[in-house]
Amino acid sequence: MRVQLTGITKYFGTLKAIDDVSLTIEEGDFFTLLGPSGCGKTTLLRTIAGFYTPEAGEIRFGDRVVNRVPPHRRETGMVFQNYALFPHLTVYDNVAYGLRARKVPRGEMADRVVKILKSVQLEGLEHRLPSQLSGGQQQRVALARALVISPQILLMDEPLSNLDAKLRVSMREEIRSIQKRLGITTIYVTHDQEEAMAVSDRIAILCRGRVEQVGTPAGIYFRPASRFSAEFMGSSNILEFAVLDYNEQTAMITAEAGGQRVLLKGDRPAGQSVRCTLRPEWIRVVETPRPGDQNLLPGTIVSSSFLGSMVRYRVTGPGGQELTIEVHNPEETGIHADGETIRYQIPPDRPVILPG
Amino acid sequence: MRVLALTKYFQSWNIILVLIFAVLFFAVVYPILYIFKASFVDPETGAFSLKSYYAFLHYPFYLRCLGNSLFVSTLATLLSLVIGIPFAFSLSRYQIPGKTLLKTLGTLPLILPTFIGAEAWLMLLGRNGLFAKVFQQIGLEIPTIYGWKGIVLVFTLQFFPFVFLMVSAAINAIDRSLEESATNLGAGRLRVFFTVTLPVITPAILSGALVVFYLCIENFGVPTLIGEDFRVLSVQAYNEFISEMGGNPSMAGALSMILLAITLSLTVFQRYWVGRTHYAMTSLNPLEVKKLRPLPTFLIWSFCAGLVFVALFPFVVVMIASVTKTSGPVMYFGQFSLDNFIRAFTIAPRPIINSFFLASVATAIGIIFGVVVSYLLVRKRGAVSYFLEILVMLPLAIAGTVQGIALAATYNKGPIVLTGTWMILVLAYFTRKVPYSIKTTASLLQQIDRSIEEASINLGVPPVISFIKVVIPVMMPGIIAGAIIMWVTTLAELSSTIVLYYGPWATMTVEVFQRIGSGDFGPASAYATILIISVLIPLFILNRVSGKDLAASL
Repeated sequence: MRVQLTGITKYFGTLKAIDDVSLTIEEGDFFTLLGPSGCGKTTLLRTIAGFYTPEAGEIRFGDRVVNRVPPHRRETGMVFQNYALFPHLTVYDNVAYGLRARKVPRGEMADRVVKILKSVQLEGLEHRLPSQLSGGQQQRVALARALVISPQILLMDEPLSNLDAKLRVSMREEIRSIQKRLGITTIYVTHDQEEAMAVSDRIAILCRGRVEQVGTPAGIYFRPASRFSAEFMGSSNILEFAVLDYNEQTAMITAEAGGQRVLLKGDRPAGQSVRCTLRPEWIRVVETPRPGDQNLLPGTIVSSSFLGSMVRYRVTGPGGQELTIEVHNPEETGIHADGETIRYQIPPDRPVILPG
Repeated sequence: MRVLALTKYFQSWNIILVLIFAVLFFAVVYPILYIFKASFVDPETGAFSLKSYYAFLHYPFYLRCLGNSLFVSTLATLLSLVIGIPFAFSLSRYQIPGKTLLKTLGTLPLILPTFIGAEAWLMLLGRNGLFAKVFQQIGLEIPTIYGWKGIVLVFTLQFFPFVFLMVSAAINAIDRSLEESATNLGAGRLRVFFTVTLPVITPAILSGALVVFYLCIENFGVPTLIGEDFRVLSVQAYNEFISEMGGNPSMAGALSMILLAITLSLTVFQRYWVGRTHYAMTSLNPLEVKKLRPLPTFLIWSFCAGLVFVALFPFVVVMIASVTKTSGPVMYFGQFSLDNFIRAFTIAPRPIINSFFLASVATAIGIIFGVVVSYLLVRKRGAVSYFLEILVMLPLAIAGTVQGIALAATYNKGPIVLTGTWMILVLAYFTRKVPYSIKTTASLLQQIDRSIEEASINLGVPPVISFIKVVIPVMMPGIIAGAIIMWVTTLAELSSTIVLYYGPWATMTVEVFQRIGSGDFGPASAYATILIISVLIPLFILNRVSGKDLAASL
């Protein structure tokens, strides 16, 4: 089912927790609300679930406006951050809880519970209490409990944040595959950008209650719309140049920093300054420069950390610009020592020029 | 929009909140205000007058009552500290045989009614007392039990467990590293104790002392039974009230107000001053429990076991007395007889039925009231929560006699007459005991994450049913524990019952109390034994089922 939010605003006292948010989540989408803590992502999710009433705006499930529908009639399945399993009920009864509330006949209920427990690989644990389960198992029960009622919309509030790193990766793959199999519209909240990229069809980046950017993971990563998006989604260098010339035909800028010239794709009139974002792995360290190499800049290595598949340098470039460069397969090139001067190349079409 | 905003305030929870405030006002606040006003009225003319307060200050008799109250309370508090602190240290820091049993038995005196302890000591050291006679025969002069000595003895033996509980909780919360770092910095063992350990547990010692002092000064049964001419404030307030009944409770009101001023300031002091100087430590490595050489171990064990024995011995004596042949105050120890029980169950079973009926009704109301108030306090925190919390805990700071006098005087005449009915007993019981239930349920509710309620709502169950299906079951251990404490302490309640009961509604406590007064020790012991057993059985069951030490929640 399609979820449409229009102009949602929510206050806590005088604090504007959600500020005029409009989003459309298409049927069957895995949609993630991503942002740092306090950005309003959980508040927005709980507003969709009906636990908060927005002061302004409209929430539509399909064609139906649900603002006034109480939370227990919204037919959403929700997975809570701490799982919120009923501690006094067994796994079976936890999962059957929503079916009992819907007065599903006993036989059908048993079938559905068994089936869903099988699909989250929990067969044989029906009679355990939540306290007798591991964190990962509790997580699966919470997921099964939300899915068994066949909700039109699945809401997940940081469901993996209480698991250890390894389990987190395997669980997110599992959640993703179950979601694709069922084709259920899913709204997922996380502060972990890697997790968001791994599972989502589309992501909305939230900051201080507002939507910064909406797009596919790749779209946001390669074309961040703001400095916040760029820095929150992966690591990013923010570089500043002065525009010397703009060529309308090639749509290229000639810019300068610390006396070094670079060519950048984009349009900005001469005389202005330009700020662009550049991912560390987009920059190439050039060991043997050839004549005619474009955008070749000198830099001094400040520090380096060897991470196995890559080496990460902190470099001071022209005009004292600090930047991070990542070189993959460092075995081929060797690792440069601190204080060494290197040459690095910025591909002209890669930097994303930021507004303002 | 405006209509919407208005309806928001008429939600069901707000209606419940108003009802709760109404009940508390009706049962606690208004009666206190009523006798406050009465204390400023001349009983003969009905005009405003300071006569009663003037009398209090003018006649040495009244001032002596106050002095006596303060004297026995202070002395009993000091003695409780003197035996309670070493007892706590012995049991928390040294390995001694039978430790768990000693701990459990050491907390029992808290729950057993004090006037039964008084009865036992009267049977042992009173005028016809067993030991008194023995000592007389061998020509030994022993100090009399009557007067302040007996009162202090009973108070100390019954209230030292509060000091023990609070101090041992504080000791167990000390991290090992604290003492170790002091040692590492070069402090010797005594220096560590006086500069680190003692200061850290001082708030607990002070808390324990305040609680004991409060319990002593509000106690009614013990000073009445063994005080004789040694009058204390609570007893005198009762006496004045009984003689003033029907008229204006002016002198009783004034004495009640003085007692209330003392108990209230103790509570406020405990809550806002001692309660704040609290050294929170997340104890990861509790202090090492030392194993001493045999001789010191034996000495420490003798102290602990001896103390527990002396504190519980009276109750054993009462139980023995209940199956002993008696005629009036003369006990034929050694001669077994079930007469006392047969009489209690056949001729006068009414007090037994009354006690169980009243305690059960008060507990049932208390459970519902307690759960609702806990929910309001924990989950619906709002502007009035703070006020509600103070109001609902207020009866803990009012002496039983004072609340009894206030209720009896207020609802004696006028549009609502309750004095002389069983309802007024239930009203007094449930308001006095419901704080215990709130303490146990609210703390559990605080640990239950709100999201489990939301998960239930999200799965399609409406809020109120979600609360019943999900929150109540999880709160159940707290509710049961609270209910048992309410039931047990209501059964043992004397100080407000004695003021409020009316002929046919005499309870077991009243029966025991009056029969001791008239020297009828046999039947008194039978009722007392039924009381002791009725109190211990639920506590024992709960201890077995949940492993909880109930005394800790008192």
